[in-house]
Amino acid sequence: MNRAQPITVLVGALGGEGGGVLAEWLYDTAVHSGHSAQATSIPGVAQRTGATTYYIEVFPLPNSALGGRRPVFSLNAVPGAIDLLVSSELLETVRQIGNGFASADRTLVVSSSSRALTVVEKMHLGDGRLDEAALLTTVQRHAQACEVLDMAALARASGTVISAVLLGAIAASGRLPFARAAFEDAIRRSGKGVEASLRGFAAAFDAVVMRRAGQAQAEAPIETATRALPPELRKLFPAATHEIIALGHARVVDYQDDRYAAWYVQRLASVLEAERAADPSGAKGWAITREAARWLALWMAFDDIVRVAALKLRASRTERVRREVAAREDEIVKLFDHFKPGAPELAALLPAGLAQRLLAWDERRRAAGRAPWAMPLKIGTHTVLGTLALRCVAGLKGQRRRGSRFAVEQALIEHWLAALQRATREHWALGHEVAQCGRLIKGYGSTNERGKASLLHLIDHLAAPRVGADALHRAEAIHAAREAALGDDGGRALDQALAAHGAPPRPLRAQPIRWFKRRPGAETGAAGKP
Amino acid sequence: MEVQFTDEIEQLKLGAGQTFHGEGILAITKALLQSGVAYIGGYQGAPVSHLLDVMVQARPYVDTLGVHVEPCSNEASAAAMLGASIHYPLRGAVTWKSIVGTNVAADALSNLASPGVIGGALIVVGEDYGEGASVIQERTHAYAAKSTLLLLDPRPELGNMVKLVEHAFAMSEASNMPAILELRIRACHVRGSFVCQDNVAPRVSTQHLIAEPAGFDYMRLAHPPVTFRHEKLKTLQRIPAAQRYITEHGLNEHIDGSRHSDVGLIVQGGLYNALQRALQQLGLADAFGGSELSQLVLNVTYPLVPAEVTAFCVGKRAVLVVEEGNPEYIEKDIGQALRRAEVQTPLHGKDLLPPAGEYTVEVIAQGLIQLAERYLPQVDLSAARAWLAGNGERRQAVAQAMGALPARPPGFCVGCPERPVFSALKLAQQAVGPVHIAADIGCHALATFEPFSSGHSILGYGMSLASRAGVSPMMQRRSLAIMGDGGFWHNGLLTGVQAALFNGDDAVLIIMKNGYTSATGTQDILNTPDDEAKAEAEAHANLHQSLAHKNQSIEDTLKGMGAQWLRVVHTYEVDAMRRVVQDALTSDFNGLKVIIAEGECQLERQRRIKPWMAGRLKRGERVERVKYGVDEDVCTGDHACIRLSGCPTLTLKDNPDPLKVDPVATVIDGCVGCGLCGANAQAATLCPSFYRAEVVRFPNWGERLIAQARATVTGWLRPAGG
Repeated sequence: MNRAQPITVLVGALGGEGGGVLAEWLYDTAVHSGHSAQATSIPGVAQRTGATTYYIEVFPLPNSALGGRRPVFSLNAVPGAIDLLVSSELLETVRQIGNGFASADRTLVVSSSSRALTVVEKMHLGDGRLDEAALLTTVQRHAQACEVLDMAALARASGTVISAVLLGAIAASGRLPFARAAFEDAIRRSGKGVEASLRGFAAAFDAVVMRRAGQAQAEAPIETATRALPPELRKLFPAATHEIIALGHARVVDYQDDRYAAWYVQRLASVLEAERAADPSGAKGWAITREAARWLALWMAFDDIVRVAALKLRASRTERVRREVAAREDEIVKLFDHFKPGAPELAALLPAGLAQRLLAWDERRRAAGRAPWAMPLKIGTHTVLGTLALRCVAGLKGQRRRGSRFAVEQALIEHWLAALQRATREHWALGHEVAQCGRLIKGYGSTNERGKASLLHLIDHLAAPRVGADALHRAEAIHAAREAALGDDGGRALDQALAAHGAPPRPLRAQPIRWFKRRPGAETGAAGKP
Repeated sequence: MEVQFTDEIEQLKLGAGQTFHGEGILAITKALLQSGVAYIGGYQGAPVSHLLDVMVQARPYVDTLGVHVEPCSNEASAAAMLGASIHYPLRGAVTWKSIVGTNVAADALSNLASPGVIGGALIVVGEDYGEGASVIQERTHAYAAKSTLLLLDPRPELGNMVKLVEHAFAMSEASNMPAILELRIRACHVRGSFVCQDNVAPRVSTQHLIAEPAGFDYMRLAHPPVTFRHEKLKTLQRIPAAQRYITEHGLNEHIDGSRHSDVGLIVQGGLYNALQRALQQLGLADAFGGSELSQLVLNVTYPLVPAEVTAFCVGKRAVLVVEEGNPEYIEKDIGQALRRAEVQTPLHGKDLLPPAGEYTVEVIAQGLIQLAERYLPQVDLSAARAWLAGNGERRQAVAQAMGALPARPPGFCVGCPERPVFSALKLAQQAVGPVHIAADIGCHALATFEPFSSGHSILGYGMSLASRAGVSPMMQRRSLAIMGDGGFWHNGLLTGVQAALFNGDDAVLIIMKNGYTSATGTQDILNTPDDEAKAEAEAHANLHQSLAHKNQSIEDTLKGMGAQWLRVVHTYEVDAMRRVVQDALTSDFNGLKVIIAEGECQLERQRRIKPWMAGRLKRGERVERVKYGVDEDVCTGDHACIRLSGCPTLTLKDNPDPLKVDPVATVIDGCVGCGLCGANAQAATLCPSFYRAEVVRFPNWGERLIAQARATVTGWLRPAGG
């Protein structure tokens, strides 16, 4: 029985990336080279950005050598019997490997190193992205050989779509018995966007050839600008903390002034003192002080409209935006910003008494079933008036100190720092967990409120000494609850984590609901008037 | 329509001896023309959309043959169209997605099959089963058996598929049975070649009209008392006639085994290729279809020919039936045939193969290994076993290393006008409490995935409003039904709207008015903006705009039917949409409340805009493009914007701020500037990090002057440094 077998190619891609065109090119290349081939796919609704696959089989011998016989090709890719696994996205490569398709004794994997994040990864409140190193390790482990290159970047640089880049990489891989020109002719025959496709093809082809020749350029190490810590502070803190404190200190100076930064240093010094008590030799690398330096700086530089206006005004921003929207020199960019300040944002800058009256007014509005007051603004930052408006708001930096929110934030910061010091003195691990809870504080408005509520609940109920829960247990509980709090914004996971560790549930927050209730038997359609 | 079929239409014109290269479903389309088909209809749906789409685009050509082409309003109307073949010697073909389309068509199919046809009637169904399928996993086979329809399941080689189309028409005429040709997803999309015949212009056609209608003949009506006679005819005449045709023309293929010919395989034609590869994996076949085991390949799976089956089984030590899906109709038919003929050959099928799920090469191979273990002990299975074990080990290793990988289901396109509606729904429910949401079939069903995870039930295309009829009377809060305009015309108008109005139901209906049946490839419907509206928009350099409002047929229909509470909202205005939804859910009006969510399908808009913009750029004319972005130093890294959107171009990047650890949102290439990011930021009071950039290429000199003056003055106003 003849043992000649088709060459099998599985392509993993996202809908809309041109995988269908790629399959057509491959089929066309084979047929024009005098070989039998078959391509198939399962597009369905996956054309709308979902994961999908294309499958191509090519007979290694030309038809002229088959004596009139025609190969029977499979419509399904067969796990463990794939010669070439090609994929435009790293997770999709791993998905196909996880489905069992690639095998280390047979499969050449040609994959893009680029990621298109899934919605689930993007939705996370913190960082839900998969570990890219683990993905790469999986690819390398289950491939006979692999070519991993950033195909998305190659496609962008060539002004084409990723399918042309994939074809270049496939052609260069050498697994199909066709010369480079045969693939390029298929692109030419397809007749659409030929020049750009050929550029993308060549970029990938050359990249693979160069890698194989060992000429791949080593990536230049990224230089990170480190700020110098003022000399008087260098003496105060251990060396391991200098880098992060320098960043934090600079942030607070930029946010407010030197006086505020001095307060930052003073607060941090008390944390360091507590850590010295728990870990006199600094065996843990002063991790609590480092965490605190990070989160304290960010909390002290809490986001408000003054800060936002200042950031939006920066000259460097205009350049960044032009870069992000890929504007050419001769193009005009009109830049608009969306703001929607409500009563809390204004109250933040008012003294406590006035602020309370404003908030009470807004509360009455809500109680009456109306939406909370807010002023939707679309400001043309490129215009003179728009810039002037932002300049005025940014100029309220001094007022910030006198505003009601400033006092509230400082009180909460003190509350957290006190809990942090207490916990650290009790046990280093407990302190370390409490320090990391600073991560929960971020953002504006309801995001910020939710974070603060979670943090307070954690430190009041999980960090405080309890009967039957030693420090290590409580550290573990805080860790679990913090991760849960970052898991979903509905707080369901957090509530479960709290319950699992014997903490009381979070207090129910009053939420105004526009109450509407149908009464039994009130099903009479024509009665009402539109 | 989403796809332009210029090349494919040229392939349809090929003559005898020329070679067609292309997709399976287009080969079938070509085969229809080669068979002298007179009329073609259907309803679009993967994987058979292309058949109808290409025919609609090829109208100028098929008109010359006298072939009538008509996209039908649903599968029931497509099936009813085949009624032309009851009285007249017309070959007709319709197409749809099965199982769902066949369900919709069922009434007409029964009434068609009862009197039977004299002109060949063919239904090309896409058997949407297995990987890539989007519907319930059921078999079309049941319909063939209960309505007495021919069922063809061709071996998926283009030449064979084409040949069987021609036979299907002839067999339909020989037996008076309408025929179904079922094609699995991969067979529809398989790319291969076949040698063509000339197209045949039908004798009776739009070019050669029928002079007089047929005479009155009660036997051609599906009405008592003749329905009793029809039932007998089916079993006494039609099935035997079909069986004779199958035998005489050798439609089912016999392959003698080279080494173990006394062990047999009976396989559905559509699974032949997978079976061959499975045999190859066991070393029992070569790459050209040469097999060590005997095979009977059923290109016709209903009716079977008992004599053919028993003849194949006689003298075999064992036979395995490779039949996909549940229940195993074919295996049972074969068992009955063997029992009647007192053939004692051991019969295997679902005892060795799994009862449900797609029969991939790996699945079939596992069944074959069990067969070989029992009947072919001399076959060395060690390599095959090692292959399967290796697959299992690799899967386990990856699962252990990576855990469950995040799924990547399909999602709304970039700039889709339906996404903002679900943002608004999420916000509205925060204000009035969660409500029961009856979902439907269409692009909007993608909201069942993250980040919206919205919808309690899907009962069928256009069925959402009807499916809440039992829920809303039991519920304290109002319930909500969502329907696309495709679903509205397909079914929802009658099953949902009419019933709700007639019964005075207290219900809320959102109709996604995007102007096309977008999920199936943006085919036109009654409320598609017409060509004049598009030409007018182009004349006013206004092609960015949605044109959905240019066609009011849905609004007019609803008003005509007596809907009293009707609001039309542009979908990208999230805050306005939120308010209208809240109004509808809390209004004092107790009847049907309809919200028309208006925004033209972005795919169609981009299809118009892209060439238009490219043309202007080429000529050096002023072009404005809009892109949204995120200020990385303002972004909170909380991703609330993503939880309200899920747009593919709104994604994450590492936080450039060394103090912060969570990634920030970023807008990547591909943003079409739909405005949702800005609207959501306003409606939900998100962080103020979004900006809208309007980039003007080839600005006029006045604009340039103003821009320079602005740059100078705003430069003075910016604080130094930073």
